Amino acid sequence: MLTVTDLAKRHRRARRPLFSALDFSVAAGEIVALVGESGVGKSTLLNCIAGLETADSGSIAIGPQALDIVRLDESARAALRARSIGFVFQAFHVLPTLTVAQNIGVPLLLCGIPTSEHPARTQALLDGVGLAGFGPRWPASLSGGELQRVAIARALVHRPALILADEPTGNLDPRTADEVLALLLERVREQQTSALVVTHSQHVAQCCDRTLTLTPDGLR
Amino acid sequence: MSARCRQTLSWWLIRAQFRSRRAATLLSMLAIALGVALGYAIHLINDAALADFARAMKSVQGDPDAVIAARDSAGSVPLATLNEIARDPAVLVVAAVIETRVRIDNARTPVTLIGLDLFSAAAVMPKLLPRQDPQAATGNILAGGIYASPALLGQLGLRAGATLTLVRGAQQWRTTIAGDLPAARPDELLLVADIAWVQEHFGPADAVSEGRVRLAPDTDLESWRSGLAQRLPAGLLVRAAEDDSARVSNLSRAYRVNLNVLALVALLTGAFLVFATQLTAVAQRSTQFALLGVLGLSPRMRLLQVLLEGLAIGAPGAMLGLALGYALAVAFTHVLGGDLGGGYFSGSAPLIVPALVPALVFLALGCLASLAGACYPAYLNRMQPLAQALKTGFAQGPAAGETARSRLPLLPLLLAPAAFALTQLPPLRELPIGGYAAIALVLVVGIASAPLLTQLVFGWLSERPLPAPQRIALQNVAQAPLMAQVAASGLIVSFALTASMVIMVSSFRVAVDHWLDHVLPAPLYLRSKATPLPQELLAALQQPDAPFARIERMANEALTIDPQRPKVALLVRELERRNPAARLPFTGPLLEPPADMPVVWISEPMAEIYRLAPGQTLQLPLLGRTVEVFIGGVWRDYARQFGAIAISRDDYLQLGGDFQPTDLALWPLPGKETAADAWLAPWSTRYGLEVADSAAIRQLSLSIFDKSFAVTYALEAAAMLIGLFGLAVTLAASVWLRARELATLGALGFDRRMLSRAVMLEGALIAVVGLLIGLACGVAIGAILTHVVNPQAFHWRMSLDIPWTAVLAGALLTLAAAVVASHYAARQATRLPVAQVLASAQ
Ligand SMILES: Nc1ncnc2c1ncn2[C@@H]1O[C@H](COP(=O)(O)OP(=O)(O)OP(=O)(O)O)[C@@H](O)[C@H]1O
Ligand SMILES: [Mg+2]
Repeated sequence: MLTVTDLAKRHRRARRPLFSALDFSVAAGEIVALVGESGVGKSTLLNCIAGLETADSGSIAIGPQALDIVRLDESARAALRARSIGFVFQAFHVLPTLTVAQNIGVPLLLCGIPTSEHPARTQALLDGVGLAGFGPRWPASLSGGELQRVAIARALVHRPALILADEPTGNLDPRTADEVLALLLERVREQQTSALVVTHSQHVAQCCDRTLTLTPDGLR
Repeated sequence: MSARCRQTLSWWLIRAQFRSRRAATLLSMLAIALGVALGYAIHLINDAALADFARAMKSVQGDPDAVIAARDSAGSVPLATLNEIARDPAVLVVAAVIETRVRIDNARTPVTLIGLDLFSAAAVMPKLLPRQDPQAATGNILAGGIYASPALLGQLGLRAGATLTLVRGAQQWRTTIAGDLPAARPDELLLVADIAWVQEHFGPADAVSEGRVRLAPDTDLESWRSGLAQRLPAGLLVRAAEDDSARVSNLSRAYRVNLNVLALVALLTGAFLVFATQLTAVAQRSTQFALLGVLGLSPRMRLLQVLLEGLAIGAPGAMLGLALGYALAVAFTHVLGGDLGGGYFSGSAPLIVPALVPALVFLALGCLASLAGACYPAYLNRMQPLAQALKTGFAQGPAAGETARSRLPLLPLLLAPAAFALTQLPPLRELPIGGYAAIALVLVVGIASAPLLTQLVFGWLSERPLPAPQRIALQNVAQAPLMAQVAASGLIVSFALTASMVIMVSSFRVAVDHWLDHVLPAPLYLRSKATPLPQELLAALQQPDAPFARIERMANEALTIDPQRPKVALLVRELERRNPAARLPFTGPLLEPPADMPVVWISEPMAEIYRLAPGQTLQLPLLGRTVEVFIGGVWRDYARQFGAIAISRDDYLQLGGDFQPTDLALWPLPGKETAADAWLAPWSTRYGLEVADSAAIRQLSLSIFDKSFAVTYALEAAAMLIGLFGLAVTLAASVWLRARELATLGALGFDRRMLSRAVMLEGALIAVVGLLIGLACGVAIGAILTHVVNPQAFHWRMSLDIPWTAVLAGALLTLAAAVVASHYAARQATRLPVAQVLASAQ
C-alpha cells in the first residue's frame, strides 16, 4: 500500500540532507511504528509521504494504483490525499467553526460523497470511537481525548488506503493515550487499512506490527 | 470532488465565517452597499432628469426635424426668412412660434406663453393643440382667446371664461381663458394663444422666436440641415433634437462625473474593507485552511473559497445597494430635485424608473469590488505552505518578500513625479481624467511609503530605552508588518480623501466669499424674473424724490455660440470702457481696446470652454448679425458655469441693441435705508419684483453652495468611519494572531493592564504613521482638486486655502478614535483566560 524507494530530502539552507536513500514499504493492512530521536526527520518523512513537502529524489507509491506522489503536481497531490490518505496529528486540528459531525463529513465531501450518505457513515464512526451523540456539538466543548477521537474518526471515515499518524497520543495523559491508541489500532485493523505511526512511546511501538527506527544514517 | 460536494463544503465554511465574524462581515457588506447605492442613485436620478427633460422638450417643442432660432435671446427670426425656407420643396411645414415669458395679474413667477399658428402646429407640435371649452362664451383662438395647461388652471384656481391680464414689462394684454391644453404634461405651466395676437401685444411684428420645420419623409435630414446652416443669416442657427439632448447632458456632465468618482471612492473603500476582513480572516484561519489542504482540499479551491467568501459579502451588499440606491434616488429627487442640489435642472421631481441592464451593471460592479478586495488574501491563502502553517500559523507573505521590500522605497520616488506629470495633462473629452488618475497615484504613493515611515518611526523608537510593554508593542509591529501596513493604509486613504475634500471645499468657499464681496458692491438689489423692468419704475427712480444715491441698471441676455452647449449669458451693464475693474473681478491683464471696436470682458469659464484670451477678437452673434468684438480681459465668475460675456451698455446701444434692464443695483442715500425699502415695496408687489439686500443674497448663495456639497460631507463621514473600522479590524486580528504570545507574556507575569496598554500604544503608533502620510496625501489631493479638477471640470479657478485648525482637529479626533479602537482590540485579546489560550493548540 505504501512503497518508498530511494527517498532523499534536504531542507533549504540545511548543511546536510536529513535523510537519503530511504527504502521501505508498508503492506496492505500492516501497521508500522516509526521511532527515532527528536529532530531526526520523522515528521518531515511523513509530510513527504503526504505530499505536504516535496522530496528531493526517489519515489513514494501510495494506494492500490501505486501513484507516485513525488511526481504529482500540487492539485493531484491534494486529490490523492483526499482519496487515499487519512492524517492524525499530535495537535488534533479539529475545525472549531464546524460541528463534530461536519468535521467528520469534510473528507467525505472532498471525496465527492453526497451529504445524503453522511449521517449513516458519520454515525457509524462516532459509535466506533465511542462518541455516539456528539455529532451536533461544537469542538470547543470537547476534551483533548474526545477531540483526538474525532480526528481519528475523520481520518478513517472515507476508508483511505493509508493512515499517517504523527505522535497521535503525544498530547494526552497516559490513560487516555492508551485508550485512544487502542481505538485507533482497532479501527485501522477493522478497515484493513495500512498505517504509519510516528511515536516516542515504547508502548505504542509494541502495539504495532513492526517498528522502523529513523537515525541520521538511515532506517534501521 | 463533485460540484455538489464542493458547494456544500463552501457553504459550510462561508456560514461558519459569517457566524464567527458578524460585525466585520456586515460592515464590509454595508460599505459595498453604500458605493453601489450612491453610483446607482446618481445614475437613476440623471436618467430620470434627462428623460424628463426630453419629454418636456417634446411636449413644448413637438418633434420637428429642425428648429431655426436666433443665436441671442434678444434676437428673433424674421418672418421673411421663414417664408423663404417654406418655399424649399423638401419642406412640408414651417411652424412659426413665439415663446415669451409673461406674468399673470402680476404674480411673482412668470409663465411661458406660446404663440402658434393652429394649422402648422397641428403638423409639428400636436401636444400644444388647444381645446375650446364649450362653456366659454368668448371667442376661440382666432378671436384672441387664450388656453392654459391643466396644471396652470389648477394653480390659478381659474376656469374657462375667466379673464386675466398678461404682463410683460410695460405691455399688458387683457384676455379670456377659452379652454385648456389636454395634451400638456401634468406639471407644465403653460399658456397658448394665436401667434398673431401675441405679436400684436408683445411684438415684434415681423419676426418670431423660432421656426419649427417638418421635412418631406425622404429628405436626408443631416445634409438638409447643414445646407441650410450655410445659407442662414449670421444671427440665426439651425438646431436638431440631438443638439438639445447633448446640451442638457453637457449641462450637468462634470458634476455627475464628480459624484460618480465619489461613488467609486465609496466602492473602493468597500473593496478595502473586504480586503481587511478577508486578510484577517485568512490569517486567523491559516491553520484551518492548512488542515483542509492536508485533508485534500486542492490549492485552487483554497483560492476560490476566499474569493467566494468575498463574493458572499459583495453580492448581498450590492443587492442591498441597488435597493438603497433606488430609495435614495426617489428621496433625493423629492428633496433636492433632479440635480442633487447642483442647480442645473428646474425644480421638478422626475419619475424614477429602474431598468434591468444598468441594475445588473451596478450589481456586477459591487461584486467586482468585493472580489478585487478578496484577491490578495485569496492569493496568500493559496500560497500558504501547508506543513508550516499547521505548525506555526499564518505566514505573512510569499517567500520572495525580502527582495521586494528592499525595492519598496523606490516606488514612491518613481510614482510621485508621475502623479505630478498627470496633473499637467489637458482635460480629456472635457473631463479631468489626468487629475483623477493623479489622485489615485498619490494614494498609491502614500500607501507605498507607509513601510518606509513605519521603519523610520519604529526603528528610531526601538533604539530608545523603553519600559517592557512599550518594547513589546514595537516588536509586535516589527513582527507583523503586513497587518500594520493594512491598518495604516486604510487610515491613509480615508484620511487623505477626507482632508482633501475639506481643503477643496474650504478653498472654494473662501474664494466664493471673496468673489461675492466683489460682485455685490451695492447694498440693495432688485430684479424681475426674465421680463424687462417696467418703464414706469425706471422713470420713477430718476425722480429727485427717489431715496437712492446711485442706481446701476443691467440686462441679461443669452447667446448660443455652439448649439450643443448651454447658452452663454450676455450681461449688458453700465460699465466704463476704461475702468471695468470697478465692477468685475478681473484675474489677469486688462487690455486697452482699439478705439473703433466694441469691447467685451469674458468670464473664466467662457475663456476656458471656448479657448479665448484677452487681446483676441470674438465673432459675437448679436442682434441678428455677427459682430466682431475685442476681448479686453477675463473676470472670475462662479455663478455661470457655462460662460458669460459682459459688455458695456454704451457699446451695446451703439451696436443697435435695445437696452431693457432686468436687474438693478441700488445704493440708498445714507441714513435712508428703511425709506428705500419702503419706497420699493409697492413696486415689488405690483410688478412681482424681487428685492434683496446683498447680505441676504450672500447668505443664500453660500447656503446653495453648502447644499450642493451635502453629498460630499456625507461621504467624508462614511470614509472616516470606514478607515477607523479598518484599523480596528486589522488591529484586532493582529492581536488575535498573537493571542498565544500575549498569553505567554501574561503567564510570565505581565498584568492585563500592561498588555492592553501595549496594544493601545501599537494602535496609536500605527495611526500616527497613517495620519501623517494621510495628511500629506490629503494636502496633495486637495491641491489637485483645487488646481486641476475644479478648473478642468467646472472651469472654476481658485487659490488653495488650507483650514489647518479643522484638518488638525480632525487628525487628533481620528487619533483618539484609533486609540479607542485599539483599546477594544486589546480587550478582545486579553479577555481570554491565559490558561485557555495557552492550552488551545491553534
Ligand atoms: N522548513 C524547515 N526548514 C529548515 N529546516 C527544517 C524545516 N522543518 C524542519 N526542519 C529541520 O529538520 C529537522 C527534522 O525536523 P522534524 O520535524 O522532521 O523532526 P522530528 O523527527 O519530527 O522531531 P520530533 O520528534 O521532535 O517531532 C529538524 O532539525 C528541523 O530543525
Ligand atoms: Mg515531529
